[in-house]
Amino acid sequence: MSARDGFGQVLRGEWTKLVTVRSTVWCLFLTVGLTILLSIIGAQGSSTNVGDNAERLLEDRFHFMHQPLDGDGTITARVVRQEDTGDWAKAGIMIKQSTEPRTPYVAMLVTPGHGVRFQADFSTDVAAGAGGTPAWLRLTRSGTTITGFTSPDGAAWRQVGTAELAGLPRTAEVGMFAATPASGTRVIRRGGSTTSSPDYEPSTATFDSVRLAPAAGGPAGAWQSDAIGGGVEFADGTTLVGEASESGGVFTVTGTGDIREVPFTERGDDDIVRNALGGVYLGMIAAAVLGVLYVTSEYKTGMIRTTLTASPRRGRVLVAKALLLGTVTFACGLVASLASLLGARPIQRDRGFVPPFYPDPSLTSGTVLRAVFGTAAFLALMALLGLGLGAVIRRTAGAVVAVLALAVVPGIASSLLPVEGEKWLQRLTPLAGLAMQQTRERWDNWVSPWPGFAVACAYVALALAAAVLLIRRRDTA
Amino acid sequence: MKHAPRFRGAPAIAAARVSERGMGVTALHHRGGPGLVRALHGEWTKLRTLPSTGWLLLGLVASTVGLGAVTTWSIPTDCLDPDLGCREDLARVNLTGVYLAQIAVVVLAALAVTAEYGTQTIRVTLTAEPRRGLVFVAKAIVVTALVAGAGTVGVLGALAAGRPILSGNGFTTAAGYPPLSLGDEPTLRAAGGTVLYLLLVGLLSLGIGMSLRHTPAVLATVLSALFVWPIAASLLSGEWAARVMKYAPMNAGLAIQATERLDDLLIGPWQGLGVLAAYAAGTLLTGAVVFSLRDA
Repeated sequence: MSARDGFGQVLRGEWTKLVTVRSTVWCLFLTVGLTILLSIIGAQGSSTNVGDNAERLLEDRFHFMHQPLDGDGTITARVVRQEDTGDWAKAGIMIKQSTEPRTPYVAMLVTPGHGVRFQADFSTDVAAGAGGTPAWLRLTRSGTTITGFTSPDGAAWRQVGTAELAGLPRTAEVGMFAATPASGTRVIRRGGSTTSSPDYEPSTATFDSVRLAPAAGGPAGAWQSDAIGGGVEFADGTTLVGEASESGGVFTVTGTGDIREVPFTERGDDDIVRNALGGVYLGMIAAAVLGVLYVTSEYKTGMIRTTLTASPRRGRVLVAKALLLGTVTFACGLVASLASLLGARPIQRDRGFVPPFYPDPSLTSGTVLRAVFGTAAFLALMALLGLGLGAVIRRTAGAVVAVLALAVVPGIASSLLPVEGEKWLQRLTPLAGLAMQQTRERWDNWVSPWPGFAVACAYVALALAAAVLLIRRRDTA
Repeated sequence: MKHAPRFRGAPAIAAARVSERGMGVTALHHRGGPGLVRALHGEWTKLRTLPSTGWLLLGLVASTVGLGAVTTWSIPTDCLDPDLGCREDLARVNLTGVYLAQIAVVVLAALAVTAEYGTQTIRVTLTAEPRRGLVFVAKAIVVTALVAGAGTVGVLGALAAGRPILSGNGFTTAAGYPPLSLGDEPTLRAAGGTVLYLLLVGLLSLGIGMSLRHTPAVLATVLSALFVWPIAASLLSGEWAARVMKYAPMNAGLAIQATERLDDLLIGPWQGLGVLAAYAAGTLLTGAVVFSLRDA
């Protein structure tokens, strides 16, 4: 084999075509330019008023089986069983100023994923080591000081934490509670409009050995069942209210919600990194057209015959094309995504996406890097999809339409389908590759980053495999 | 798809046929046939003999009926429960196929222009008929006629296919959903409006085709103009998102399909179609000016 026949020679030939054909150079330029342009326009047109309220935001929603406790006293209970509806589902005992939400409280509680804990006033959180149910819990009030204890057997007690609740009235509410944070998002599409709300799976806990000292004045019926903060209302209009009951000394409490301060980063739900990279929706069209033209223009001008005469091993020609196109588009895509992210950020800040609600994305963060590189890789994949379909179809018009119909249209038509249909369409089309841009949990993340990327790669692999197979078997038209 | 290697495909065949007719054109002229009729005849022959035309029209009809049937079948039946107080827009969902069908229209209209530039048949055309305005009008009429015909078949097919699916899923007169019928004014507006929408998209594509002349450039531009705006709107918030959705060609134009909750629309059905018509008129005008001033 002479040197001229080597793979390096093929690569060089394809490189020359890529950088000297006017339309492919234009497409590369447009891929970068349009991506940045739409990203900046998108940032200009976005806004949020999340920063208007800088006060603490407290979530206080749970189900409470309680009765008043007059003055100092102690409550003891054993959590026999807790339904595992999430790592942070909570079941335990509480002393709370009143049944009004967001009033001060102290609680000893058990969680499925984070053991036994002492929590107070939406800020104190003390871990008492691992250990699930059954768990013995105790709270003792002395003046405005409340101390939490836990025990493996109900005999030997260990102090976990203590908290001072300034202004705690003489009579406070005391009892057993259950709560579980949102497990996801419930999306309802009905009559053409889409609404979403947090979705909850209620958690049930059972308690026994409940002792109140000094003993309650009234009969056992003095226990009252209340949904603190009200029930949960879903987007579809249904509501979920917890419940509590007592039978033979065993208490069953079912509740939803959470007791915590909502962190600043959860107060707004925009994924600012994904939004800053939104220009990819325009750039991907230029990238796909680039891939198509890189091969169909050779068919149009008849150049392909010269190419394949000079290098008769046809599969290798395509491999060389794919390698070069992929590398060059990825490099240009990286420029585009970095420029979009850095260019859009100051604008986003002006539009209200400010720290601490929206901290500046850091280029050392794994998810941000995944989004930046993933966007570049997605553009490269679109170019390769165009290349594969271009080599299969050989006509510019047909291939451009095929690649856009496959990659762009489903994303739009899907909003007319029922939510399940949209979910699967987004998972199964090449657009799934854009899941790499996710940097936070959102209800419309239908597919996780890497599986979504794998779906896009699978399309490209199929198209390129078909192209290699066909270019070997077919006459050059 | 047929291949004619030496002539690089069918546009060249069309070119050959047109030049065969060169003598016939003269003969017709002597017989005093009006210029537009001849121009129309020439354009009709060129478009008819592009192998892609048949496939595209078939695709237009098939996607209108097929995608319409699938989405109609998938309409959630929740709203059949009168307590929920919601209503599904059956006609609109039934005509969802237009989202795919418009791609065929875009390609058809683009190729009606760009195929001629690709093969340089345009020079023959303009030699035979130097009045460029006439050629332009003839192209627009032929494209419009083809799209109107196929669009009507597709829309009627979608409605016909949708009726048994809907009644099978419980959307019956008793449940407050009478069968989709062109006798109802809103359904007629949605169905007729869908055909008009496809015509306008064709004219938009034709106008941009006249300006840009290169197949990939035209397709990428028109398809981006149609499909990218709704995605871009999802990046925007509030007022800007509403503005984009109100004036983007596809969203505005397809407001004509709404038969329920017209008050919730960002733009009224006819106003929306008017926005699309304005875009089409703008690109046609630009295309016509460019076409008459520029060398072929």
